[in-house]
Amino acid sequence: MTGDRKPSAINNVAPSKVSQTKLNRRKFLVRTGGIMAAGAFGAVPLRGWAADPVNIGALYPTTGSMAQIGVGCVAAAKLAVDMVNEAGGIKSLGGAKLNLIVSDVQSDTTVTRTETDRLISGNKLSAIHGCYASALTLIASEVCERARIPIITGSSSDQLNKGRSYTFTPFARASQFAKTQLQMAKLVSEQAKVAVIFENTAFGTSTSNGLKELAPGEGVEIVMFEPYSAGFTDASPLINKVKASGANTLFSISYLNDLILIVRTVKQVGLNIAINGGSGGFVMPDFYKNVGKLAEGLQGVGHWNHDVSEEAQKVNVEFKKRTGEFAFEYAGGLVAQTFMLADALERAASTDPKKVREALSTLDVSSGYAAMAPGGKVKFGPDGKNVYGRPVGVQWQNSDLVSVFPKEDARAPLMKT
Amino acid sequence: MWETLAQAVINGLLIGGIYALVSIGVTLIFGVVKIVNFAQGEFVMIGMYISFFLATQFGIDPLVSLAVSMPVLFLAGVLIQHFLIRRVLGPNDMPQIFLTFALSLLLLNLSLMFFTANYRTVHTSYSDEALHFGGLYIPVAKLIAFAVAMGLSGLLWVFLHTTDLGKAMRAASQNRDVAMLMGINPNRVFAVAFGTALALAGAAGSLLMPFYSAYPFVGQVFVLMAFVAVVMGTLGNVAGALVASLMMGVAESLGIQFVGADSGLIVVFALLLLTLAFKPSGLGARRGR
Repeated sequence: MTGDRKPSAINNVAPSKVSQTKLNRRKFLVRTGGIMAAGAFGAVPLRGWAADPVNIGALYPTTGSMAQIGVGCVAAAKLAVDMVNEAGGIKSLGGAKLNLIVSDVQSDTTVTRTETDRLISGNKLSAIHGCYASALTLIASEVCERARIPIITGSSSDQLNKGRSYTFTPFARASQFAKTQLQMAKLVSEQAKVAVIFENTAFGTSTSNGLKELAPGEGVEIVMFEPYSAGFTDASPLINKVKASGANTLFSISYLNDLILIVRTVKQVGLNIAINGGSGGFVMPDFYKNVGKLAEGLQGVGHWNHDVSEEAQKVNVEFKKRTGEFAFEYAGGLVAQTFMLADALERAASTDPKKVREALSTLDVSSGYAAMAPGGKVKFGPDGKNVYGRPVGVQWQNSDLVSVFPKEDARAPLMKT
Repeated sequence: MWETLAQAVINGLLIGGIYALVSIGVTLIFGVVKIVNFAQGEFVMIGMYISFFLATQFGIDPLVSLAVSMPVLFLAGVLIQHFLIRRVLGPNDMPQIFLTFALSLLLLNLSLMFFTANYRTVHTSYSDEALHFGGLYIPVAKLIAFAVAMGLSGLLWVFLHTTDLGKAMRAASQNRDVAMLMGINPNRVFAVAFGTALALAGAAGSLLMPFYSAYPFVGQVFVLMAFVAVVMGTLGNVAGALVASLMMGVAESLGIQFVGADSGLIVVFALLLLTLAFKPSGLGARRGR
């Protein structure tokens, strides 16, 4: 039955949605059909006195299992576009406004392919950003590559940098996350002894193996390396083993439900151990809502955090005003991405996607909203990777997610639990 | 070593108490009504959501909300028995299997629709507390859950053995036709049995809430262990299900401790196979049958 479990905070399955979307799609086709027919019969498209808007595609899962996060991403995308437009749009294009065209990829790889195709063929796009989950972004970036439309993404899979020339990844890669986690373990104790527990799935196994490979190089000793079956009823026996291992840091590669049990059990046992929960659902506002005070002092890693720069804090305030939650890593990251696109458009002075790609590849920023990333600098290498990209180590302190590592990005010292 | 072993046994017994509440319900329904209730886990889930909403909306402690979840589910059980199960009782058991399985799917999907798949937790003052003595510890929330579970099982035993209705239920479970000839109204007995079983599932849900998250699929985690315990403790035998559940809990805990954290269930199923090999009708089977 464990196959039915949904990962951490990204679960919002509403079976009724399926029929609704179908209905909507039908309605959509009727409407677009009407518009196209109107175009064929010579209806004149609306042209104001201002410059033509620049179309930016946004691919996010706003329905399906990742809906909750997808909706947050769209809110951030809208915020970013509003910010660019309020600041005067793209000046080199006569103050052209950015026009966001959102498409729902429904948390589904097949839908992602068709939606990306449809978005590209139905609109004259200058660039695209999306799609939250690496599995979805990989497919979208493939379609973009073929259509020669630049896509900029916060997704972390290293796959995205292989054989692509239209994909840009301004943030840390998955392979860098493990390294940061290990370095954080050394903050806790010079003699870092780490217990790694992971659920026995593809996600748990691949992440834990990455940690195991890098540990010796970072001078971290792994004293326990143990898979468990996800969805257990009782974490006590597992924590018993952790206790017996003598570890001073615990890496738990788990989805939310298991992680809650693990954190509670550690507290009950009275075990004094630092816990690093990694990224994903762990660095979402929902995690604190679910775990409450127990989350205090827990560590994790992210590709963006809302306190990495002054600009990030401004974005956070605005995002909070609109949604009620702090700007989570993917949301904040994609605001920065929109500004990177604006910078590229400004220099390209063209809405042609190929020219936008050229301009993105020579992007080099170290200030402003576009540079709002851990490290504070963005410049793409030939593989589309930000050469300055690095993850930021975070910790839950007083119900807020605070950057604590590395020193350059730290806004507060690591709280030793 | 002894400390680890003792701790593993304590952990196992504590979680076994919860398995017991679920499996006693399944075995009671099977024993009396002679159907397998595949939806039992979903009623645990409903019990959890009742406690969750009472706790978040009115600040009622999940243990106090037992007083709500048990009667509500008892009533639900009586109604389900009266309006649904009663209509499919007959020589053919396929409709019964389809009915309870469909009920399970229906409840799962309804809860997905209304509650979404998010994990919901209730945090009580005793959720993270534990009693420590020597090197051992006992989590308070689980200890309370275990004690209440054992208390409820004891009450059920007293009910089955001392009251007329309880005796009628046992009579109906031993031989339905003879019981009817003796003037026992089967519909009434069946309704009470189904209601009681669901009330126990609701109790399990409320007791779980202080230390486990509620989500639509949560029942499936517990119902698997319950079915294993029911088979191992002999179908229809309440005391057998209780003992088997505690054994399952300990077996799982020892498995995780000494075999591997992903092998807890291996030990459980090995134990089940061994039991079935040597006592094919389960631990609770009477001799001479």
